[in-house]
Amino acid sequence: MDIIVCLKQVPDLQQIRIKRETREPVLEGAPFVFGAFEKNALEAAVRLKEKHGGKVIALALGTPKLKENILEALAMGADEAVLLTEPAFAGGGAVGTANALAAAIRKIGKFDLILMGEGSADNYSGQIIARVAELLDLPQITYVRELQMTNNRIHATRDLEDVLEIVEADLPVVVSATSELNTPRLPPLTAILRASKKPIAIWSPSDLSLAKEQVGASVAAVKTLSNLAPEQERKQILFEGDVDKAADELVKALQKEGAV
Amino acid sequence: MDFRLTPQQELFKRTVREFAEKNIAPRAREIDQKAQGIPEEIIQGMVDLGLFGVTIPEEYGGTANPGEEMVYAMITVHEIARAELSMSLPVYTLLCLGWSYLLARHGNEETKRQVLPRVAKGEWFLGICTTEPSGGSDLANIKTTATKKDGKYVINGEKIFISGVTEAKKRGGGHLTLFKTQPELGHRGETFAYVPLNAPGVTTTLFDDMGRMGLSTGGIAYKNVEIPTDYVLGEENKGFYLLMEGFNAARILVCAACAGGAERALEITAEYTKNRNLFGTPLAKFEGISFEIADDWAKLEMLKNQLTKSAWMIDQWYQDQSSFTRKDINAAVAVCKLTAPLLCLDIAKHAMMHHGGLGYSKETPLEMLMRGVMSYVVGAEGGANIMRIIIAREFIGDVAIPYK
Repeated sequence: MDIIVCLKQVPDLQQIRIKRETREPVLEGAPFVFGAFEKNALEAAVRLKEKHGGKVIALALGTPKLKENILEALAMGADEAVLLTEPAFAGGGAVGTANALAAAIRKIGKFDLILMGEGSADNYSGQIIARVAELLDLPQITYVRELQMTNNRIHATRDLEDVLEIVEADLPVVVSATSELNTPRLPPLTAILRASKKPIAIWSPSDLSLAKEQVGASVAAVKTLSNLAPEQERKQILFEGDVDKAADELVKALQKEGAV
Repeated sequence: MDFRLTPQQELFKRTVREFAEKNIAPRAREIDQKAQGIPEEIIQGMVDLGLFGVTIPEEYGGTANPGEEMVYAMITVHEIARAELSMSLPVYTLLCLGWSYLLARHGNEETKRQVLPRVAKGEWFLGICTTEPSGGSDLANIKTTATKKDGKYVINGEKIFISGVTEAKKRGGGHLTLFKTQPELGHRGETFAYVPLNAPGVTTTLFDDMGRMGLSTGGIAYKNVEIPTDYVLGEENKGFYLLMEGFNAARILVCAACAGGAERALEITAEYTKNRNLFGTPLAKFEGISFEIADDWAKLEMLKNQLTKSAWMIDQWYQDQSSFTRKDINAAVAVCKLTAPLLCLDIAKHAMMHHGGLGYSKETPLEMLMRGVMSYVVGAEGGANIMRIIIAREFIGDVAIPYK
């Protein structure tokens, strides 16, 4: 069973500072990592491979730094990697990214399952799965919290917040993972050291037979006008006097805010 | 020239940090409060990541990347120390890593096959045993002796302030131990060997220490303790030199523990002083506080650079002994060991003072660090004045050796 896992390189959210005056995020110095959902997708792929055999291919689009970042995916159990790091791919938004990923998946050719995170850790648009599935004319199963394979059929539990939906599909299929799907493994040192020996291919738009108009900034459908942290102001309400009364008032106030 | 960690080393560091923050840090206080108690599941988690094998070659069950053992060991100990400020687990780890490193290089094949895979699997403890009631710095004048009888060594004597006595007794393993095989030759008549703690004739006592309560310290007495000659590292009567070689590696890891603890204490105090308001303004606005933190940060950065360089030098030396002289390495490592314990103590003290009354309480992990690092300030793995003697000897010359 061959599985392709799509991974997005994002700045480490825990290391992004917010400028107090302008509420702008300071990305400088924040290292690139893979988002948590992507690691859930990768972990699911590696577990399926361990059970059913085959191989896992990590596919990622991002900066040239990806050549280093991808080591983590290879250490976690991906067998090989395909990277799209040419500057021509950058800034394409969901449209350009989906075009590039779908073309790369077509070039890889042989696969039974495509896995990705439910959304990226930075923008969380959640569009890539639908776009890639559509471009490849494949069925898609989104927001998956349980995943099994028996007799070449995928059984998945979808988390739709209020309800759980259990679905089945024939392979090949595109699946997106939620954080409930698993706990991604931490790679042991031997796996980290062996990861550097696994094959990495770097493909350009021309390798994928993609024209300039299909990737990069020119196809981006959404223009980001500003990107600011939400305003956070404390209300600084003090409930004084009798403790029991103050506690009641506090609970009422919290209920009014919808906090409890 | 390149001062960066490799992508593999970076990923390893990030992995160990994630493991340690999630699994070790929340239990540091528990480790410090429970005598001789490092939870088994923490040891197992570290084994799963290959952490006890970073200085042990793969053929002996380890995970070492040949030629980068010390750098990986330094990263491991640094990251564990950031999470476990009582210093119990960092010291347990660094002893196993440091002395496995020496055993892997100078041990007899049979001994390596017997000991190293068990250390890598986290089953056995491996430590160091040199200090005697008469002193720990003057190792040329130890009293423990061994005589050869029927192809075995028979050891008699007493050691003191030895880490991991209970651990080696309960888990298995033992200590690389220094004894005299030809007492009349002084340090040239000393031999260094692995001695299992459960060998017949070994008895132990325990100390009640001020810190790192999760790791035992005690005395070991040997009464006609027999060990096979296979357990000797290198050659008979060459033990003193091997011990000094091992001390360089061990000192780097001791300093990595101090640097890791100090780094975490600085982060804790930076965060606290940013948010703690006094006189209507954050504590960090007062230069009496922020300048002290800046000074500490600067000193810690210099230590980390010197430490990384020293670890790298040892890795280079084992691959190519023309890359550096032993003197270069002795001096570089002594600079680290002269600086690291006191700097860590200073940073712990400053951080406690920034926290005021809270710093004196057990609400923060800072006091654990202060108690734990004192073992290295007092002198484990070579006191500050011994480091000064080494540096003076290498820089000024032999005239600066006080005992010659």
